[in-house]
Amino acid sequence: MTPVRRNLFLLSFAAVFSLTLPLIFKSSFIQHLLVMSGINIILVMSLDMVLGHAGLISLGHAGFMGIGAYTCTLLVMKFKIPFLGGLLGAMVLSGFFGALIGYPSLRLRGHYFVIVTFICGIIFTLFFTNLVSITKGPMGIPGIPSPKIALGDELAINFKSKIAYYYLVLTFIFLITYVKYRFYHSRMGRALLAIREDEDLGKSVGIYTHAYKVGIFAISTAFAGLAGGLYAHYMRFIGPDSFTMLHSFYFFVMNLVGGSGTIAGPIIGPLLLTVIDELSQFFNPALARILFGLSLILIILYMPKGITGMLQRLVLKREV
Amino acid sequence: MFSQVFLNGLFSSSIYCLVSLGLTIILGVMDIADFAQGGLYMLGAFVVFFAAKIWGLPFLFAVGLSILAAVMVGVVNNILVYQPAMKRGANSLIAALGILLIIQNLALLIFGADYQTFQLPFGQKNLEILMGTITVYKGTIVLMACFLVPSVWLFLQKTRIGKAIRAVSQNKEGAAIVGIGSGKVSVFTFSIGASLVGATGAMVAPIYAFDTSFGTDIIVKAFTIVIFGGLGSIRGTIVGALIIGIGENMIAGYLSTEYSNLMTFLLLILILFVRPQGIFGRKAI
Repeated sequence: MTPVRRNLFLLSFAAVFSLTLPLIFKSSFIQHLLVMSGINIILVMSLDMVLGHAGLISLGHAGFMGIGAYTCTLLVMKFKIPFLGGLLGAMVLSGFFGALIGYPSLRLRGHYFVIVTFICGIIFTLFFTNLVSITKGPMGIPGIPSPKIALGDELAINFKSKIAYYYLVLTFIFLITYVKYRFYHSRMGRALLAIREDEDLGKSVGIYTHAYKVGIFAISTAFAGLAGGLYAHYMRFIGPDSFTMLHSFYFFVMNLVGGSGTIAGPIIGPLLLTVIDELSQFFNPALARILFGLSLILIILYMPKGITGMLQRLVLKREV
Repeated sequence: MFSQVFLNGLFSSSIYCLVSLGLTIILGVMDIADFAQGGLYMLGAFVVFFAAKIWGLPFLFAVGLSILAAVMVGVVNNILVYQPAMKRGANSLIAALGILLIIQNLALLIFGADYQTFQLPFGQKNLEILMGTITVYKGTIVLMACFLVPSVWLFLQKTRIGKAIRAVSQNKEGAAIVGIGSGKVSVFTFSIGASLVGATGAMVAPIYAFDTSFGTDIIVKAFTIVIFGGLGSIRGTIVGALIIGIGENMIAGYLSTEYSNLMTFLLLILILFVRPQGIFGRKAI
């Protein structure tokens, strides 16, 4: 098989497999795992846009996810805006904050951008905790309605059950995968690739690197906001504890474990680690976090391309 | 009111300054943003808690133990993780966060999730300075910061090891040519940073209640200060610490504590827009 046909085959297999998954597993816990993995996959895909495409490290994505979650919730609950409108608002606001932070911090090389995203992620959490008048502070916002999407006057889909929500999330995953794939082969995708490999060279051939970097960061944070909105309406409760630095860190580990800069990586990593994370609630979450930290250090030292990179190397070896 | 807020701010500033000093030296010399120092800060507080409260050792001796523990962990991090990471060209900042996660959760397993407090038997008397009050103990910490910061600066300027550290920070290859091994210097720089952070963590343990995530907040503020002052600049660190420490207490005192973290955020965004390399920083473009 040629690589293109193999990829197509794998992709269609993955699509069919993901569509039938909740029909095979009837247990509500496994369906919960699937939905959570799906939401994490969306977030890690958004993170991979900056890390994999542009080589920028963002450690504040949980904060942006939180902005999205609060925006969507408040729009739906306070202003009675329909669910999809809330999601759109969430994307716009987190994207705006992404641009606000990206614009100044992406002008500098080195550690600046990472440190700034890290600090901002934490400060957003502090905002969620302290701006009690808007976010209800540490108490969080309970009773978020399950989303309803109206199709015409009579018909409306209510995503109350886990299976329905799974398909909603899956739709977004397919959409983002498509966007990412098209994006990768667009002018902006190629420009970002040039930035990742050699920024000065990119500048010298006339790529306005700063604008592209800010642009991709804003897009990425907008998708993080989307994941936040989906998360809020699935859990039906949000509080500052769901969007901490630890979560940003998890997403980052998921991305690295799966392998950054690929289509499959941001799907494999979250699937694996979400299961580990949710299962660890039964024995000791601290142990799982130590495992995460250790695997992170080992991966950046010995396996910088993650699981996908390793698989690709194996396949290539066999073909040669 | 004003002098009280000012005194509180001065105290916060000296804590921030001590923590960011180690960070900025490590960042300047080794080019490592060592977030794991947050873990050392927490470790310092817990060691002093166990040594002084549970085992009943004298407080100063307990602080010494904290420094020792922090330096040991810092040096182990440096040898096991940072140096291999630098050699392989891996991102040391990610490694630092991995270490922070490991330290905090190991501590959670060992020490438990409860908040700990303990009272000092001495230094609780109030001093009156210009219509404001501050405990003797806090005043001592401010004075110690006033003494430690210049002595670290003098150490870097005058001693042989300090000169070696500066040489490596300016040019690694050049330093290696004249016989300064960057491995040794790196270990030594980490010990300085770790001892500053560990000592600060130990000294504030009798003042704040702390749990295993104690260091996260302060490390965020310390990095804001480091960026504000310019990476690797000691002058900048002092100015940044004063502005953030006092400003934060002013906002908490006059407006509301809700907004005191806003100060950190606004300052960070502002400095990045206006002067991204920090007030005393070299241009990093």
